[in-house]
Amino acid sequence: MARIGERRTKDVSIRVGGPAGAGIKAAGQSLSRTFMREGLWTMDLTEYPSLIRGGHNAITVRVGPEPFHSHAVDADVLIALDQLTAEKDLCWLVEGGAVVYDPASVTGEGWPAHVRKVPVPLDEIAKRNGGVIMRNTVALAASLALLRFPLEPFEAALHAQFDSKSAEVAEGNVRAAREGYAEAAKAAADFPLRLAPVADAPERILVDGNDAFCLGGLAAGIGFYAAYPMTPASTLLHYFARHEHDGVVVKHVEDEIAAMNMVCGAAFTGTRAMCATSGGGFSLMVEAFGMAGVTESAVVVGVFSRPGPATGMPTWTEQGDLQFVIHAAQGEFPRVVLAPGDREDAFHLTWQAFNLADRLQTPVVLLGDSYLSDNRQSVLPFDTERVVIERGKLIAEGEVHDYLRYKDTPDGVSPRALPGVKGAEQLVNSYEHDEYGWGQEGERAEVRVQQDEKRMRKMDLALALAPPPVTFGPLAADVSIVSFGSTKGPIRDAMDELAAEDVTVNFMQIVTCWPFPTAEVSDFLGKAKRSLVVENNYTGQFEQLIRQECLIAPDDRLHRYDGRMFTWTQIADKVREMARQEAPKTPEVIV
Amino acid sequence: MPTVSEMEQALTPTWCPGCGDFQMWKALKQAIENVGYTYEQFAVVWGIGNAGNGADFLRCQGFHGLHGRALPTATGIALTNPELKVIVELGDGDGYGIGGNHFLHSCRRNVEMTAIFHNNQIYGLTTGQASPTSDQFMKTPSTPGGVIEEPVNPVGVAVAQGATFVARVFCGDVAYTQSIYEQALRHKGFAVVDVFQPCPTWNKHNTFKWYAERAYKLEDEPDYDPSSRVKAFEKALSTFHDLTCAPDSCRLPVGVFYRQEGVPTYQEQLPQLDAPMWRQALQPRDLTAAMKALA
Repeated sequence: MARIGERRTKDVSIRVGGPAGAGIKAAGQSLSRTFMREGLWTMDLTEYPSLIRGGHNAITVRVGPEPFHSHAVDADVLIALDQLTAEKDLCWLVEGGAVVYDPASVTGEGWPAHVRKVPVPLDEIAKRNGGVIMRNTVALAASLALLRFPLEPFEAALHAQFDSKSAEVAEGNVRAAREGYAEAAKAAADFPLRLAPVADAPERILVDGNDAFCLGGLAAGIGFYAAYPMTPASTLLHYFARHEHDGVVVKHVEDEIAAMNMVCGAAFTGTRAMCATSGGGFSLMVEAFGMAGVTESAVVVGVFSRPGPATGMPTWTEQGDLQFVIHAAQGEFPRVVLAPGDREDAFHLTWQAFNLADRLQTPVVLLGDSYLSDNRQSVLPFDTERVVIERGKLIAEGEVHDYLRYKDTPDGVSPRALPGVKGAEQLVNSYEHDEYGWGQEGERAEVRVQQDEKRMRKMDLALALAPPPVTFGPLAADVSIVSFGSTKGPIRDAMDELAAEDVTVNFMQIVTCWPFPTAEVSDFLGKAKRSLVVENNYTGQFEQLIRQECLIAPDDRLHRYDGRMFTWTQIADKVREMARQEAPKTPEVIV
Repeated sequence: MPTVSEMEQALTPTWCPGCGDFQMWKALKQAIENVGYTYEQFAVVWGIGNAGNGADFLRCQGFHGLHGRALPTATGIALTNPELKVIVELGDGDGYGIGGNHFLHSCRRNVEMTAIFHNNQIYGLTTGQASPTSDQFMKTPSTPGGVIEEPVNPVGVAVAQGATFVARVFCGDVAYTQSIYEQALRHKGFAVVDVFQPCPTWNKHNTFKWYAERAYKLEDEPDYDPSSRVKAFEKALSTFHDLTCAPDSCRLPVGVFYRQEGVPTYQEQLPQLDAPMWRQALQPRDLTAAMKALA
């Protein structure tokens, strides 16, 4: 077990645990926002079961003066709002860490000797100042006192939250916070950790992956969003619905089948259209996803994975759908699969996904997961100067002559005249079809070959247009990591931790998983002394892809499939272990 | 605006000789010409089946979608381009079976569009299995002992679920079918037209003669009031028939069962839909306020 203050990084972590419905996530986020506004960097990790009340919820806020890329799991301070938290979550406490609890509801008996007990009469203080509902305020203030973090920013946050509702409630919360702060400062005057505001820090925003996807979509000019609620994608539906006034038609539909078919209809009118879901919802979308391929519809689909199969573990994370999205739907058609690694990627890849969909006239998948969708991180505001809108061969107005929707062209992309354009009679067709779109003609062998080749030719263009892999670290290293998606954060933190050691490591993040960047990955693995594939699933779907496309077998692999994301320490340990072993002479080539 | 002959600049129909789809095709083209849309003012969406095959026989701005999914595809079009009248062509298996969920929700949405159901009470394209509207006890390759379930009641469901224009016709009367189509196209709201459309190849029971002997016009009932939802529902319940019913004991009302004017359409309740939504992507949106809200 780690000892308090032993972490190399200068951050601390606070875990808040309690029953569902007790405002755990909101409490953690108000801590994060307070810290962020005082110039610190933050990242939340929320853990909750799929129910509304009861059970056990927790949020861990990692906070520090220097940027980092992933979550913390061990806690320096644990706020135990109920007895269950004390029982379940003490295992996450570092040696010498503090537990803030209300002795009226949590016994504190039988805890290991190293635990620093900080009893605070949360309910009593809350009731005295306005009601039990304020107990989270008391507890959060107590945790700030332990770290000697000033209370004023938190008071300001309480005012910001409650002033518009009631001055009395705001004042009551502030008084409750002050009492909790004083009580904890008294009980743990010698607690060793310190956290201070950072002056003159740049402005940050607090976003989860879903916020970033939505901002990217808004920037791209999205005009239609359809979805059926499904964890962890549901908040996109809420976000876009709140932004209907910005010019988005948002439809909560009867099922994901309707969502995907509506998005294809919206794309027919030239609207930038998107839907998002998790693996289960995408299973329902699959037939229409294929229709988007054969009809050459420019659509963007978010698939944000959770552990499957079937209902699986709705509120936890996994990268188990990579091969599914690459192969989804019967038949063969071009598609692009983009895998953002963090919030910054999620923003930029979303507007780029719309451009790719328009330029290629084919479906583009944004492949994420719960870890990215659900957890908030403080980041610099996204660089909107980079956003451009490229609509490809779109003819939205005017007149066309001898128009053929599926005209055979050198790059496989046909001019796309929208309904409403004079002369744009066409049949967008889920059947194989000829250049006009007539279905019966599509049954002719030579027409089928022409149209199939025309569509598949777009993969060459996709490879040229889609974002290439990104490499971090030195050109040559003891260990070379290849991965995709949200493992990026823990991998980068592991690299930062290893930077102080006698181990060099570099990392290639595959941004476009399909079409696969075979040349870049082959080159990277070819130069690797020891190669490691990191992925959040059981079967090694990403490694299968590497073997299939590059004919190279990576030296080692790290998998996790318990519904949790890797910690950076887990990855660092694996790299250290590999670095100690003798390097294989040449990469194994599969013949 | 396109004339019937211009719309016919397409492929030659492949329906079986004597198929009711020919009459429906004729009625639709004439109705479009009569209402006077230009090619730029309407779009047609087809599902899959013999009804869907009509996509190849009509020149227009069209979308031939998936089996059962024409309604959501059409909804996506209607909700993103207010300048297009959307017409949807479905079959009975297509629209009431595999696409039944979309039918329910389309009715309650009141998106302005016209949905025409080719109801031949059989699966034609897949060679004669029972459809959701096949009469009870009908023997087919998939129901050799006879259909056990009650048939879907499309008119009843549409009325119950809030469609604002619900009609049924027998396509054997082309002129009447066309006139009902025109009323449906002019309706401000979701219009459902269920069409008895005989399949001479696979449904030997519900033939032209069978329908012709039983169909009568609702407007010939002196006190029928299509503005009453309750009466429309009652009438929808009375239209159930069984395989053996005699013509005079088994009357099939056709015409407008229900019509409610002045109900706001889904599109009318979307203030952002004042122009085609592709215009939202002319330039990147300003995110200043959206990002400020997250600071």
